[in-house]
Amino acid sequence: MNADRLEGSGRPALRRFFDNLKALPGRFAASAARNGLPASDRTRSTFVFGNVFLHIHPVRVHRWSLRWSTTLGLGVASMAAFLVTLATGVLLMFYYKPYPEAAYQSIQDILFVVPSGRLIRNLHRWAANVMVVTVFLHMARVFYTASYRSPREFNWVVGIGLFAVTLGLAFTGYLLPWDQLAYWAITIGANIAQSPREVTDALGITAFFDLGGLQKLLLLGSDTVGEEALIRFYLLHVMLLPLGLACLLAVHFWRIRKDGGLARPADADSRVGPLAKDTYPVFTELPAKTYHLAALVRGRSPAVGRGPEATLPSMPHLFYAEAAVFMLTVFVCLLLSLLADAPLKELANPLVPENPAKAPWYFLGLQELVSYSAFMGGVGIPAVALLGLALIPYLDRETEGTGQWFGGPGGWPLVAKAACVGTLSVLVLEAAAIRFGWIREWFPHVPQLVVTVFNPGTLLAVIYGAYSTWLVNRYDSTRAGALGLFTCFLCGFVVLTVVGTFFRGPNWSFYWSPAHWPVH
Amino acid sequence: MKKNKHLLLWSSLGVLALLVAGAAEENFLKEWRRLQRSARNGAGPIDVRLRQIVVPALAVTDRCVSCHVGMAPGEQELSGPAAVVAAHRDVVHDPASFGCTVCHAGQGRATEKKAAHGTKPHWPQPMIPASFAYAGCGSCHTHLKVPNLEQLRRGASLFERYDCLNCHRLDGRGGGLRPEMPGFKEGPDLSRAGARGHRQDWYEHHLDRAASGDAVWREAFGPIPEADRQALETLLTCSVGAPGLIEAKSLFHSLGCRGCHKVGGVGGDDGPDLTRVGERDPGRLDFSRVPGERTLTNWFAEHFRAPAVVVPGSLMPWLGLSDEQVHLLTYYMLSLRLSEFPEAFWPKDRILAERFSEREFRTDGATLYGTFCASCHGRSGQGMRYPGMAPFPGVANPDFLALAPDSFLMETIRRGRPGRRMPAWGEKEGGLRPEEISNIVRHLREMGGDVPYREGAGGPGRWIVSSADGSGRILYDSHCAGCHGEKGSGGEGPALNNPVLLDTASDRYLLETVRAGRRGTVMEAFSRPSAVRSTLSVTEIEAIIAYLRSWEEKK
Repeated sequence: MNADRLEGSGRPALRRFFDNLKALPGRFAASAARNGLPASDRTRSTFVFGNVFLHIHPVRVHRWSLRWSTTLGLGVASMAAFLVTLATGVLLMFYYKPYPEAAYQSIQDILFVVPSGRLIRNLHRWAANVMVVTVFLHMARVFYTASYRSPREFNWVVGIGLFAVTLGLAFTGYLLPWDQLAYWAITIGANIAQSPREVTDALGITAFFDLGGLQKLLLLGSDTVGEEALIRFYLLHVMLLPLGLACLLAVHFWRIRKDGGLARPADADSRVGPLAKDTYPVFTELPAKTYHLAALVRGRSPAVGRGPEATLPSMPHLFYAEAAVFMLTVFVCLLLSLLADAPLKELANPLVPENPAKAPWYFLGLQELVSYSAFMGGVGIPAVALLGLALIPYLDRETEGTGQWFGGPGGWPLVAKAACVGTLSVLVLEAAAIRFGWIREWFPHVPQLVVTVFNPGTLLAVIYGAYSTWLVNRYDSTRAGALGLFTCFLCGFVVLTVVGTFFRGPNWSFYWSPAHWPVH
Repeated sequence: MKKNKHLLLWSSLGVLALLVAGAAEENFLKEWRRLQRSARNGAGPIDVRLRQIVVPALAVTDRCVSCHVGMAPGEQELSGPAAVVAAHRDVVHDPASFGCTVCHAGQGRATEKKAAHGTKPHWPQPMIPASFAYAGCGSCHTHLKVPNLEQLRRGASLFERYDCLNCHRLDGRGGGLRPEMPGFKEGPDLSRAGARGHRQDWYEHHLDRAASGDAVWREAFGPIPEADRQALETLLTCSVGAPGLIEAKSLFHSLGCRGCHKVGGVGGDDGPDLTRVGERDPGRLDFSRVPGERTLTNWFAEHFRAPAVVVPGSLMPWLGLSDEQVHLLTYYMLSLRLSEFPEAFWPKDRILAERFSEREFRTDGATLYGTFCASCHGRSGQGMRYPGMAPFPGVANPDFLALAPDSFLMETIRRGRPGRRMPAWGEKEGGLRPEEISNIVRHLREMGGDVPYREGAGGPGRWIVSSADGSGRILYDSHCAGCHGEKGSGGEGPALNNPVLLDTASDRYLLETVRAGRRGTVMEAFSRPSAVRSTLSVTEIEAIIAYLRSWEEKK
């Protein structure tokens, strides 16, 4: 068409200019959508792998992975919560000032004056809490569907790292309002970081090897929670940890692709059942064998080794699923933000400790254990738990039940029984410790090392370990033992968190309800 | 996929709906916007925007004026709901110069009523109730030379009786009462005479005008006796534009509270220091035995009504205060604030008080006695008896005063009774200066009926020597120990083994007290006959006194 105009017609350039202007919207759309709108199988594919944001997704996805019951959407929900937290966090950064003299007042300004400030702050707090919950549930889902098995072991480890960074983000953010809640919660956290002193003091080696002191100093930048700690936590919270999270997320998603997509049972193809009649699109042209060399890769992709019948194009099936989960998460976070305000107590006052001073809710289970032994509850047992989690895929190399809920020998009945054992043992131990006291009640001068080694937390770990070992023998399977151990720890964690949240009052004494707390 | 599409659609619509709801709430439904929309000035509806008073030097950002629009600087002639359009009452300070929270407390940065008024939990400084509005003055001011209540009220009543209100306004009353008189001109408003200063020769000036001037002056003014002039002068010094507060402070200076409590470094040690008690965070107080609302005001009021109920184990006795007295004392407590702020903003009275050690209380004997002594020794020096405590002796007893030289009284006040309830009032401990102590001593004599010290036989000093036969001890145990305790440790009667007493009391004082007794008390004249005990001869009394002296530490 342009050629017509150019050839010998003698049209002036001005007219060409206006023609170009008129054609601008269409030209702009065409220049942006390099491969064209996803209207055919080919363009649906190129829409995905030709787009910088979308090409982390596979072009086709197995139908098993799209089922709600496979994943419950928890991974996407975690990502959605993170994105909401990220966006609201950036908005809050416009007004927040990370200096003790200004922090609290800047939060108050956000609450009372900045347009939608209250909503953004509430959203940030709720999305962060939702993220911690969904990350935790996502980890449980991956475990229970045995999706950590080869070749996905490394991705599981990366996921554990993500879990730790998520908790770190939540914890560093907790200090920023600089109110009584924040100040004393972080004081507790810092003292837990110092808890290796419990062991080095008992062994008498603190003068040479003061790991606890070093950890606390690194965390706070000073001996007390003050301006150094605040700026340090701020830096961690807005830059270092999010960058770390982003890197780990990149690896996490990359590995999903390279490990062959989401884990599924070996007979997933036959189990997906026939397609619903109105599913569109599946294929718009019959698949014909074509050969091109797109890349030489090692490993698996969804389509290797089998036909494409059990797959659906990612555009639109996967994206609708992701968008739906994303929007649902946003809806839940927004609803919570409109209904419940994020807490803000009075300005931090180093002279007036909160009593009880409680860590953020996700650490209250640990704080309950810390009340017996700082080292064990704060460092020992969490380290053992994280290590144990990281080792699971390397110790469980069986193949039975991969990709199925509660897959493996024992199945759901084993998990149910393990839940009972886990809950019962923690309740009994807690009840005994609360009712009768612990060791020092009868032996006031016993050395601290005895209590460090022999306390409800370690006892619980030993009981769970013994039970899981018994399960390994009983079912002749490490998976069964892993199922039992994970379930026990899960129930124990939940019960301890509930006790720490609702039943601990001033001086960390047991009260059936806050109405019974003594007034000071 | 259909399920996902539906889920996406409905959750997106839900998100949109929630966002719209949030936006509507933010932009239309906020209370301060609603209130501003309902106000109008001469040119129509007012501009709806956030209003605030910002004083960077004081770190003040007060948004109270977003709802209380009438009080914002520059807003005039508003009409609408009362709370919105009411202008600030005429007070000493322009609200725009220091903000609102300096005087009223509350949370200045908040824009919602409960948060702004500080009635939410966790805000440590809720607003001072309106009926105690002038308590906020105490954030910066420490009004000086406040007399006791009696003097203040006397000044006020004289001000009325001498018809000063005819020409002068005082705290919203008076002024221009007889405008129909030819040549009438209203005199200056005296409500803030104490703060702004007044001419010291006002009396002479009035007399001059009365002598030379026109009919109005001649009829309106006449000579005033010296004592009444003093009372009026006191009233003028106390007129600082905070009427209820000064009355409250003068009541505090009548009930002897500083006998046990320090305020600003001067006072006793038995009770807590009250210097900043008005700033206490109600969230940290124990309300378990306080009926009514959980506010600082209510805590104070209930504490005054029944101290040992509200604070178990408290030494503060039940004072039997009337409701008006409770109200005034609560008022004063709320004013004890003294916030931290740059010295450039300190008012003159605070500089004088904190840097130049000027007194908050008037230093005449009556006020000093009322401020420091009255709670234990009684309003008229008659002594007090509180349940569960050793009785406090009467200090205006004529027999006592006749035997006690001024030096003895001054030393007693200055050094107190270590180990007993009488504190040391010297400059280092209680904080009283020598001239103040001598004023108190003079007042004691006045209270006792202008009783002078009578010199007598024996003079000051000691002459009694102890006998070797131990009769002093036997006599003491039989005649004295019942009230004065074994070994003089006290009981119904004062402790005789007290080192300061033994150090300052002359032999004549002790001898005559025993011999002649103290009228109106349980201390009898032991030289007079009695049905229940034998009389004591002078020799026997001397033996007892020698025994008392044996309790003194050998220097």
